[in-house]
Amino acid sequence: MRYYITTKSEWDKKLDQLLLSHTIFATVSNDLGLDFEFLRPADIDNIKYNCPRPVTSLKTFFLPPRENVTADRDSDSPRIIIGAPNCDIEGLSLLDEIYLDRDFKDMFFNWRRKNTIIVATDCFSYRDNCHCVSYGIKPFTTRIADMSVSQLNGTMIFRCITDKGEAFIKTVINAQLLEDKNFVESVENNNTEVEKTLTEKNKGLPDYARSGKLLESAGKNIWKKYSSDCVSCGSCTTICPTCSCFLLIDKPGFEKVKQMDTCQYPGFERVAGGEDALYELSERFRNRYMCKYVWKPKKYRSTACTGCGRCIDSCLGKINKNELIMELVK
Amino acid sequence: MELTINELKNIRFFESYSDKQLQTILAISSIKHFKVKEILFEQYDELHEVYILLSGCLSMGISIAGEKRIHLGTLEEGELFSWSAVFRPYISTAWVMATCPTRVLAIDSEKLNQTFQNDCEFGFKTMTKIAQTISHRLSDTRFQLMNQLII
Amino acid sequence: MFDNNNIYKPIKARLTDVITESPLIKTFVLAPEHEFSFETGQFIELSVDGIGEAPFTPSSSPLITDMLEVTVMKTGYVTEYMHNLKSDVNMGIRGPYGRGYPVEVFEGKEILILGGGCGLAPIRSLLYKLESMKDKLEKVTLCYGSKTPEDCIYKPLFKRLNNIEKFEAFRTVDKPDEGWTESVGVVTTLLNRVRININKSIAIVCGPPVMMKFGTIRLLEMGFTDNQIYLSMEKNMSCGLGKCGHCMMGEFFVCKDGPVFTYGEIKHNPEIWK
Repeated sequence: MRYYITTKSEWDKKLDQLLLSHTIFATVSNDLGLDFEFLRPADIDNIKYNCPRPVTSLKTFFLPPRENVTADRDSDSPRIIIGAPNCDIEGLSLLDEIYLDRDFKDMFFNWRRKNTIIVATDCFSYRDNCHCVSYGIKPFTTRIADMSVSQLNGTMIFRCITDKGEAFIKTVINAQLLEDKNFVESVENNNTEVEKTLTEKNKGLPDYARSGKLLESAGKNIWKKYSSDCVSCGSCTTICPTCSCFLLIDKPGFEKVKQMDTCQYPGFERVAGGEDALYELSERFRNRYMCKYVWKPKKYRSTACTGCGRCIDSCLGKINKNELIMELVK
Repeated sequence: MELTINELKNIRFFESYSDKQLQTILAISSIKHFKVKEILFEQYDELHEVYILLSGCLSMGISIAGEKRIHLGTLEEGELFSWSAVFRPYISTAWVMATCPTRVLAIDSEKLNQTFQNDCEFGFKTMTKIAQTISHRLSDTRFQLMNQLII
Repeated sequence: MFDNNNIYKPIKARLTDVITESPLIKTFVLAPEHEFSFETGQFIELSVDGIGEAPFTPSSSPLITDMLEVTVMKTGYVTEYMHNLKSDVNMGIRGPYGRGYPVEVFEGKEILILGGGCGLAPIRSLLYKLESMKDKLEKVTLCYGSKTPEDCIYKPLFKRLNNIEKFEAFRTVDKPDEGWTESVGVVTTLLNRVRININKSIAIVCGPPVMMKFGTIRLLEMGFTDNQIYLSMEKNMSCGLGKCGHCMMGEFFVCKDGPVFTYGEIKHNPEIWK
């Protein structure tokens, strides 16, 4: 991995210039906590680096809640997204598999991916429900994003990931190649330390690679038990970095509006004849687990959970998926 | 008119029987003809023959209050019916009526049961086939019931 | 950089005729704005402008590319609108999607088709295809069941099939009327009369869920193996692209991996009969 450095003040100045030609979203603190916000020049100094995951997941920038998919694409200015944690980056890799599949490429998703420079950030701390390491996901990014940024006092350190990212660092930011091996080592040691602490904190969690089999063979009772506090609000799936189901709504003129949808809502699988495989709340509740731990791993490369813990934080019924899986392990 | 072994071989029910076994069947069977609207047997009749539809059309059903006939369905060519003749108390659970000129193979059930005693392999094979027929009837009835419930 | 192939955008198709098949079923004859070909068993998304879109398997011949027929049962919001349409309006079509019947696998075989209700629509398209390749087939037997004689669609089809060499077609109804002279009972009763060399056969089932279930079990009992039975699954296919998630059946997207599956491919999945 190649690293580049520049000073915080240089970087801030660059961002200010970039705002003239780019739309930038970055992680800042607001009433909700840390979240991605549309960056204005006055907020550049308020960007938070190396903080664990923001409230909203990265997917929102590629799969907006609602979009007209028959309209001509706007000629948006290029985008930069700063501060995405690795759980979101790994989530995006699954979305890439679904939306950029070779048979049917979603041109809107594809355009946004190409039009965006993703600047990830290494997590120096974690939230209560962070458990990426349980999925073999590290709290720092080494793939999929274009680059990663970390702040050490007055210095900004950039890790190159893609060619696009390296070109951006070299030519746009004008950062210097970091050749001091000791410095590189200290950055990497710091990341490994965070990973170790997070692993220690989550050591009680099950082996998620094996969870699929457990969930598949789980009886009805566990689903009934844990879904008894579920109100089908869909916040777990809405906030999830990998949930990406949608509905197509028809508008006059053969226009189609694509709106994010979730299997947690009643009627998701209802067919015209009236049959509804997910009529029961416990079936809908089970569907999400099966999709994430059994079906998606069979179809794509990995489980559809990256351990961000947002679904646990956001659940109105205070349902913790880890507790459910732990109960099955017992 | 006599039936030949080759004709029996063309009936699905007898697909796996040996020539010797078919000979045994022929020896205890006869062919019967029925006219339109002729009743082969009524519900609750004591039965002495197992039938296989060779050609024609048969309607099957049950009676309510001894009077009103409810049609449950038709029988298909090659299908075995009147299976109650093989089991105690040999009382039919439905009526069967011809709705066009019909030809059936009638097997004497008492003689059939005796043959079972002498040839267990033949008995097992035949009883398995009859069990299958009844199982199909049960499954079709459930299918029919679900269709009714869904409407 | 920008890919102009929009997978969500329908092409227009002129509705040239509406044929009433039964009180609840109509066939829509469509002339797509440009040539439209599909493989039998694949489906399309048909939309009513501004109202909605629903998945249907065309019932017309896959050999015809300038015209398309779609048979629609009135069951919900969108289909009700469709039933009120008069000819000469534009409809939208997307597709064709999914995996249809692997007809090349059927060569040299006896084909047993079990159909129920509106499930005859995809089957009719398949029958056109099978007719065009009948020299390569041993036999085609269609067993079809509907609730009443009135609900039986494509009435002339049966007479025509019975006049084609190697083809035979049987019909049954749950509830006969005065003039009905054919079988009475559920569609599986027709299997009692079918003589078929199972080792050299394949079976196709298409119809309402209850019928698919009972039909498949009976075929297995007759001696068909799991991979000799082809099922056309009905799910709430919405995008047709393997993305929106509405038609997921276990790990399968019915819209992309199906809608035609062998029983062997999906039997491990408890969701298939839901």
